[in-house]
Amino acid sequence: MGEFKVHRVRFFDYMPSAIRTMAFNSQTERLAVARADGAVEIFNFNDNFFQEKVIPGQDGRATEALCWVGHRLFSAGLNGEITEYDLENLRPQYTVDAYGGPIWTISSNSQGTQLAVGCEDGTVKIFAILEERIQFQRNLNRHKGRIISLCWHPSSAQIAAGMTDMIKIFDAETGHATRRLLVDRAMGASKNKEVVVWSVGYLSDHTIISGDSAGKVQIWNGLTGTLVRTYLVTKWDVLSLVINASQDESSVIAGTSEGTVIQFQFISSTVDQHDKEWVRTRTFRNHSHDVSALAHTDTAVVSGGMDTQLVVRPLLDKVEKNTQESALRKIAFPHRSLVGCAKKAGLLLFQFPDRLELWKLGESEGHVCLMYPYFVCRFLQGEDHICCSALSACGGWLAYSTVSSVRLYRIQYNNTISINKVSKLPKELRSVHQLCFSSDSSKLFASSCQSSVIVVAVSQQECRYLHTLKHKTGEWKARMHLLCASDDGKWLATANTDCEIHIYNLHKMKLHCMVPVYNSCPTTIAIHPVTNNLISVHADQQIFEFSLVQKEYTQWSRRLQAQGLLSLWLERDTPITHITFNPKNPDHIILHDTYMFCIIDQSLPFPELNAVLWNQMTLKSLPVSQRIGQSHAFKICKSFQHLMCVSLLEDLSLVVVERPLLDIMSQLPAPVRQKKFAT
Amino acid sequence: MAKKQRGKASSSSKTAGIEKPAESFTLSLESSDDEAPEEVTFEDSKAAALRSMKQALDTARREKQLLKEKRRKRQELFQEQKKRKLLSADVLEEIDSASSKKQKQSEDEGEQEEKPEKEGGDGKKKKKKKRSGKLANARNLKGKYTVTTVKERTLASFQQQVAEEFIRSRLYGPGTCRTTNNEMLSLQNKKGWNKSAAVQFVKKDWASKEKAKAEKLKKRWLHKQQLPSC
Repeated sequence: MGEFKVHRVRFFDYMPSAIRTMAFNSQTERLAVARADGAVEIFNFNDNFFQEKVIPGQDGRATEALCWVGHRLFSAGLNGEITEYDLENLRPQYTVDAYGGPIWTISSNSQGTQLAVGCEDGTVKIFAILEERIQFQRNLNRHKGRIISLCWHPSSAQIAAGMTDMIKIFDAETGHATRRLLVDRAMGASKNKEVVVWSVGYLSDHTIISGDSAGKVQIWNGLTGTLVRTYLVTKWDVLSLVINASQDESSVIAGTSEGTVIQFQFISSTVDQHDKEWVRTRTFRNHSHDVSALAHTDTAVVSGGMDTQLVVRPLLDKVEKNTQESALRKIAFPHRSLVGCAKKAGLLLFQFPDRLELWKLGESEGHVCLMYPYFVCRFLQGEDHICCSALSACGGWLAYSTVSSVRLYRIQYNNTISINKVSKLPKELRSVHQLCFSSDSSKLFASSCQSSVIVVAVSQQECRYLHTLKHKTGEWKARMHLLCASDDGKWLATANTDCEIHIYNLHKMKLHCMVPVYNSCPTTIAIHPVTNNLISVHADQQIFEFSLVQKEYTQWSRRLQAQGLLSLWLERDTPITHITFNPKNPDHIILHDTYMFCIIDQSLPFPELNAVLWNQMTLKSLPVSQRIGQSHAFKICKSFQHLMCVSLLEDLSLVVVERPLLDIMSQLPAPVRQKKFAT
Repeated sequence: MAKKQRGKASSSSKTAGIEKPAESFTLSLESSDDEAPEEVTFEDSKAAALRSMKQALDTARREKQLLKEKRRKRQELFQEQKKRKLLSADVLEEIDSASSKKQKQSEDEGEQEEKPEKEGGDGKKKKKKKRSGKLANARNLKGKYTVTTVKERTLASFQQQVAEEFIRSRLYGPGTCRTTNNEMLSLQNKKGWNKSAAVQFVKKDWASKEKAKAEKLKKRWLHKQQLPSC
């Protein structure tokens, strides 16, 4: 296989931001997750929990609540605005100021006609959901304190609102508060501290379930206004509570500051179904920090919080045990590459939400390090966060885009490094979702709205618009999230979230062909420099190779599909985010996901179904003559953990960008102090 | 009153008992329960009650005085600060006179312009009228300038800050038992299968600022220790 000199890079200070809230859409099986920096991510639960779309955040948009209404996504935050998102173009469509101060919660009624928001000034405002916008309808009666949480009754006639020290039930028609449920304060020393009802749920039989800051989950009878049952689940706060409303309302999950998720189920203690009551059943301890966001799907419990990881825990009474379906999934890193590598120049570009950092890799002679990696420059971005960025292979051009603008910079290396911004960009380059430079750094490709690709020529003097590539006139499809240009400058491959891959011929500037659609979304694509075959890896870990010249799958790809990939490969839970090739050996394909990187050797046979996938250690122990019999095409290395990017430079040295999870955990906010036995 | 006195008598008798063991027997007999309480004259008790009332009133008055003093001092301080902020009086006079002159000039100009344009449409007339009715402090600066609104962030962000402060104080404020990430990870190391050292101990680059501060403090302390010797 060979030896590689490795640049082990650990100075990428990537910090994911905390998950504030999430919402699950059971019709489309999509989960929307809002983070503390204002970014919204959409995960496709049908497609191996792939992170399909990311809407970049904005400074000051402190999202506190998310709500799905059909296929539309609304969010409300502490900046006092309700935002509707355009999920095709991945930007906020419009914002409506609620004029009530910071908004703490948002909820839609079951028919999807009205939206209720709870504001800082103590009012619950009702908005009517119209075709393309929302319109303010009325205020319910004002209360003295802030409204922290609210929930509609499934019949849309009442709203339960959680505030400080009490829960009020409002009649949605008249706006009057019909009932007031007083919540007890915590026992002991904190009797003076007011209790905040962080979340409420309203069931169809008029039962109200509330979670508050004293650590209690209380079950109330909403018709009489009395307390039915109290469960003291934690010493700290119960931050979130969700009912599986789409099913039979028989399960409620509550998330606490300790990092535990507790499930309550409406079951009967005896065999007959008559005396059902709410019983605490399961406790999940999958988080180290506060759990502030929860979602309840049909078969799983999804939780997220301050430790920035999304955890999907399937419920074992709904799925079969010991299958891929019942495995615990933790999503800690983004499903796309945040590192750009200039192969010829040895430069690395790190993409943060609010800035970009450019570093030059060090050089070494043998074991002596001649030059340490040094920091070149930083590009600071203002309010809008960065959507995507690209670095040309020679290192001379850098481009990045936000939801509103695109910037292009020219970098020159003489004795000093000079960076010049290219000011006059073509007006077609406005809102761009993905950027890619051609391999000779003469053209920039940008995927824009209406699924078209804009080609601009970049040169010393100016940036000139060349052409727009479209596949069919007037057909409107999803935005492209992957762009890739071939080394010889003839082909451009694009992939979108509808699982379509289009190939364009750049010499003729028109569509060449479309790869047959596979039902899983591609996570990364790359064009081989020598053979001009397109390698695509999908969210369900399948690998395909498509010949661009002959417009059909290659023999190698067909053999791989016929043989089938090993189950250990298919059961990996992080997607492949980057493919690169070896200039010295055209048979090698280098892929990586978060926990391993793999070199696929196309000249070697595929592993048998009962073969060992990770056989590198065993091969090392065998004598050289026996190795050929045992080796197969997949060579996996797990020495570097939590990989953000693996790339091969022109001088055949491997660049491995790692971000150990421990480094991320050490910079999170403070966890609760739990007294453990024998410590 | 009587009970108090009895209590006092008994305590004094106890102390007396410690000092003079010989007389303890007789003294304790004196303070037995069967005896009648000591007689206290009405004048004595009245005097004591009046004294205590006067004391209470005195303390209340003193506290009020103290508070008044504090408030007065703070008021003075604020006035001082206000005075410091404003420009000196003569500079203000100058500006005032300059602005009034300019105001007169612009009014004259406005009037002159009004006359030839009287034939203009109603809208224009209204505009001119509006222009002549300016505020006293407005100044007509010459030269090209454009007026844009600064982003209205101050009000909204203040409320947002209050809300964020509310969350922060409820989750991380005083009374919530929080610890550091270092402690949590170190405990995990301690309880895990392969027991290992605390994370801050092992990771060299953790808490570098605290370590630097500790170094400086150590140097300063050593220096202080050496000073009296030399």
